[in-house]
Formats: sequence, C-alpha cells, structure tokens
Amino acid sequence: MNKKAVPYLLVSPYIIHFLIFIAFPVIFSIVLTFHKWNIISPMEYTGFANYIRLFQDALFLKSILNTLIFLVIHIPLQIIVALFLAEVLNQKIHLRGFFRAAFFLPVVVSGVVVTILWQQLYGFDTGLLNKILVTLGFGKVGWLIDPKIAMPSIALMATWKNVGLYIVLFLVGLQTVPKHYYEAADLEGATHWQKFFKITLPMINPTIFLVVILSTIGGFSLFIEPYVLTGGGPLNSTLSAVLYIYKQAFFYYHMGYSATLGLFFALIILSVVIIQKKFIEREV
Amino acid sequence: MKEIIKYLHIIIFLLFGILTSCGNENDHENKLLYWSSNNPDEIEFAKYVVNKWNKENPDKAFIKFQPVPEGQSSEEIILAAVVGETTPDIYSNMWQGDVEVYAQAGVLFPFDTLDGFIDFIYERCDSNVVEEIKSLDGHIYQIPWKINPIMMIYNQNIFRELGLSNPPHSYSEYLAASELFKKDADGDGYVDRWFGYSEVIVTWWQRFFDFYPFYLAASGGAPLIENDKAVFNNEYAIGVFSFLKKLYDNEYFTRERLSARQDVFLSSDVATRFTGPWEIVHAEKFKPEGFEYDFSTIPVPDGFEGPIYTYGDPKNIVIFNTCSNPQYAWEFIKFMISKENDLKLLEITTQLPRRKHLDTDSLYLNYFTANPKMKTFAKQSKYVKGTDSTPVLKEVFDLISQEYEACVIYGVKSPEQAINDAANAVNLLFIE
Repeated sequence: MNKKAVPYLLVSPYIIHFLIFIAFPVIFSIVLTFHKWNIISPMEYTGFANYIRLFQDALFLKSILNTLIFLVIHIPLQIIVALFLAEVLNQKIHLRGFFRAAFFLPVVVSGVVVTILWQQLYGFDTGLLNKILVTLGFGKVGWLIDPKIAMPSIALMATWKNVGLYIVLFLVGLQTVPKHYYEAADLEGATHWQKFFKITLPMINPTIFLVVILSTIGGFSLFIEPYVLTGGGPLNSTLSAVLYIYKQAFFYYHMGYSATLGLFFALIILSVVIIQKKFIEREV
Repeated sequence: MKEIIKYLHIIIFLLFGILTSCGNENDHENKLLYWSSNNPDEIEFAKYVVNKWNKENPDKAFIKFQPVPEGQSSEEIILAAVVGETTPDIYSNMWQGDVEVYAQAGVLFPFDTLDGFIDFIYERCDSNVVEEIKSLDGHIYQIPWKINPIMMIYNQNIFRELGLSNPPHSYSEYLAASELFKKDADGDGYVDRWFGYSEVIVTWWQRFFDFYPFYLAASGGAPLIENDKAVFNNEYAIGVFSFLKKLYDNEYFTRERLSARQDVFLSSDVATRFTGPWEIVHAEKFKPEGFEYDFSTIPVPDGFEGPIYTYGDPKNIVIFNTCSNPQYAWEFIKFMISKENDLKLLEITTQLPRRKHLDTDSLYLNYFTANPKMKTFAKQSKYVKGTDSTPVLKEVFDLISQEYEACVIYGVKSPEQAINDAANAVNLLFIE
C-alpha cells in the first residue's frame, strides 16, 4: 500500500463520521433556514421569512429568557453545592466512598426517571416537600403550578441530578493542589477559610472554568425536565428554548423555522461560551 | 474433509428447504402490506381479520399484516415511512386530524375514485360524517373506521352519598354538585377532593378532553375552522371557557398534575372525568371492591336543548399512494369493516365502529345487552364530531390551549379576551 495513503486511511473513520453526522446536518440545517418544509411535502424557498418571524416571535424570546433565568439560578447553585460537597468528600470522613457513589448516582439515572421522582416530591397536594412544610407549620408551595416558582424548582432538580458529575471534577481539582501550600499556610497560622479562598479557589480555577462551561452548555440544552414535568407551563414559565425548538420541529413539523431557531440559539450559546472563556481565562 | 463436505451438503439442503417453504407467501402476485396500531387488542383484531381474509379469498390480494413499528408515536413512524417511501399499502389507525396534511402532500389514495365507493360510504355513514371526512380538495382519502366518544365518567357511590339521583346535565348542576363534593379530607387547610380533573398541561391534544368536547356539546357540533378562518369566537366557546374557569377558580378542579399518582378517579379523590370507552377496561381491571361508575353526556349550558355532541376521537383507514393495487386494498378494507367484523372489533377492542344505527342494529344488540356501559357510548355515537379539515389543526389546538391555560387555569385573561386572542392568532396561521 502507498505509504502516503496510510494516514488518510487511519483518519478516514473520523472524517466519514464527521461528514455524515456533523457537517451534513449543519449544512442541511442552514439550507433549511431559508425554506418552509413539513418533511412530507417538497421544500419551498422562503428567503429570510423564517428569520423575520424569529425576531417577531415573542414566545421564542420568552423561552430564551426562561433559559437564562434557569442558568442564573442553576450555575451558581451547581458550583457552590458541588464545591462544598467536594471539599467535604475530600476530607477523611466515615463512609466517604459510599457518599461519593451516592452523590454520583443521579448522574447515571435516566433524566425521565429523575423527573418523575421529583414530580412526586413537588406535588402540591401529596408531595413530600409540601407535607414536610405543612408539618412544620408553613404553607404549601406551588412548586410546579406557580409560574414564579416553577423554573427555580426545575433548576433545583437539575442541580440535584447533575451535581455528582461536578463533585467528581472538583475532587480531581482539589487533589491536584500541592499539599505543601497548605502546610506553609498552616505554619503562617492561616484559618480554614483563608486557605480556601487564598489557595484552594485560585488553584482550582481551571476546574471552575470547566464546570461553568459544561453547566452553561448543559443548562442551555434544558429539555427533559420541563418536557416531562410541566410541558413548558405554567403560563410558559418553564418553556425552555430547546423545548420550544423541539415543539416547532416535532409537534408542528415547521422544520425550516425550527432550524432557524436552532441556528440562532447555537450562535447565542457560542457567544456566551466565548465571553465566559475570555472572562475566566483572564481571571486564571 | 469428507465430514466437512457432508455437513455442508446438509446445511445447503436445509437452507434450500427453508427458503422454498417461504415461497407461498413471498411469491404471491398481489401481496399487500397492512399496518394496524400496536395496541394488543387491535393486533388481535387485525390478525383475526387478516387470517380470515387470506383463508376465504385465496384468489384475491394476499394481506401481510404487521403492527406499526415501535416508536415514540405511531404518527412519527408513519411520517418516517412516508419520507422513506416505506409506507404500507393500508394503514388503519390514522387520526382524522392528520389526514389533510398527508392528502395535501399527495401521499394518500383518493377513495372516491373507486367504483361503488360513494354508495358504500353513504350506506355506512350519515351524510354529515361523509362531509366531515372530505378533504379541502373535495376528495375523500379516508374511511371512517372507529371512534371513542369522550363522555363524562362519574362515581356512582359518591353521587349517592351526595344525594344526587342523576349525573349533572347542565353547567349549573355540575357547579352545584362540585360545591357539594369539594372538601379538605386531611384537614391541612387545602382542598384535596375535587369534583373533576383534567390535565392542565398545554399540550394541544389535551384539549380533546376538556375544551373541545364541551365546545361541541354547547354548540351542537359547530366547527372551529371554516374556509381557512377561525369560527370559534362565539358565545359557545366563551361560555365553555367561563364555565371551566369557575371550576378552577372555586377549586372544584385542581391546578396540579395528578397523572403521576394512582388513578384519582378510582381512588375517589375526584368524582368525575371526561374520557372514552377505554376507561371501562381500565376501571374493571383496577377498581376497588364495591366501586360503581357510569357514563353520561358532557354537561351543557343551562337551558340547552337538542342532541348533545362530543368529540369522537376518530381513527380511520387510508391507502397510501405506494399501493400497487388500490382496488384489491379497497376490497380487503370493505371486508375488514363489514358489519360482522365491526362486531368483532367491538368484542375484541371495546372500540366503536363508526357506522350508523350502531345502537339499534340487531347484529349488535346482544353485545350491548351484555355490555350496558358500551350501549351508552353507542347511543352517543350518533352525535360525535371528529376534526375540521385543515393542515394546521395542531397549531389551532395549540393556540387554543395556550389561551385555555391563561384564562381557565390561571385566570390572567377574561374568557372573551382569551377566545378573541386565540381566534386572531389562528387567523394569522392562514395568512402565513
């Protein structure tokens, strides 16, 4: 065999995969944005009509806003909880292995299963959380039926589901911090909090960056939770951008329009990630 | 080596035998593929009818039966099959509301071009049903097959406790009974027994179980869409929204989704629901001892007179244009929906064939005598409506559903405003 051909042959599986499953769908989606297509009828060229419609679509803008609300609650909560638990699980505590596995368990459980479980917890009448609140003398909370609370409820659930993954990442980060830094700080009489803020946090900044990026991208793709739990309600307060795009595509077969929404939303995610990267890199 | 050659001969011989034994089916000149739904009862019915056809009609088309392949929904599978041009010749579970989209895409065969079809369809159905199934281009691409009318199921034990001798007929009666039943059973300060329950999520088809049957009942079966225009901005739709809104405002219905709990009707947490005959099979299987229930018509506005319509959830039969021999397919369909096979459909699936005189035809009398709850549905079957012919039906129901949530469930809009907004938004669909 020609020696020059060998490298091409070796990379060809990836190239073929890339062309079929990434390049073609992306290019096809961009083409779709200029068309009206319901899958079964021939495509109809519509120029920029889908883009014009996008900017007039109040519900899509609301879905983006909902997603941003979710991110604003979810990302800080995720980081704080994951970092706190990672710090605890990094100590020599009893049953450390068990707790590490227990916190990771929700990550590997199906999103639909987790959502149905939380539906039981969040139930207004018979939900466990409200039963506890009433027992403690508080009023019931409309976790999923109050438009102001439904999205924070979903953010809380998503944090519970994903926190295990970020605990693992933070644990790795924490274990890479050289021990002699802490020993030197101890000699100087630093407190626990001083060591945390002056040594731990700066040293795990790359991990924080990774967690922020991962949870931002994960948060932007919020779908299963509102799809199963609320259907986007009440009053569209949990309608995420991805759920809206999905509905346009697979409820109503507006393939051209949903491709336009998808492309626009992908650009938003890309912009946010670039901004985050620049901002956090500067901090590092 | 000789041993290997000997075994090879045996394997080749066996393979030859297997392949030639399959020949009878595969080599049939007029083989047609028929897909049913993948509901176990319907599979049983389809197997029964296909076997009977193939046995009794060896000189005609050989029907190969298969349930619609598994997927998230049969609708998605059909869509994928249309795109991939792998549609069956005959499909028997097409929701009436989907037909217009497929008809406009040109993937369905028009039945009205077949000799004798028009006579047949008027023999089977009333003229209003024939009008209902006509597509916008005037052709008929579907055969009305079966319906599951939406009616009010009610808990007779609760009604006796409340001193109600009859199920509520009008809005006022329903509201009065709701007030009687509503209570805080566990004493935590919150209502936990509701007179009725309907899914609160905005998914478009959920409105088939609340707004739409109520609208049809109140209006005597009026359409939502006519000539590419919303025609539901009327007193009936506003009246329905007002009535349903009162149910939530007064906590006669809950805003909470109860679908993840055990059946709230069978547990007597709610006294009524709006559902179809499939509930009978479910209730008979899971009801607690001594639990009694029955069905009644959808409540109507006070002073309403005349027949009470409801939504029939029609599922129809279509022939795809990939069918090599529509005439043979049609002959099989005629056989499948014959009076005798419609009786089998009733017996096996507890679903009603969409044919006239169902409740009085002598052939079905024994069945309805043995199944009196189904008789109620058979009587209702004279007054059912399907859906209007429009390719944007799902969007129409979605827009109504959005306004339903805003007005009926959360009360942030008045009924007049909500219906007006829904109608305006629907009219925009036709402009686009």
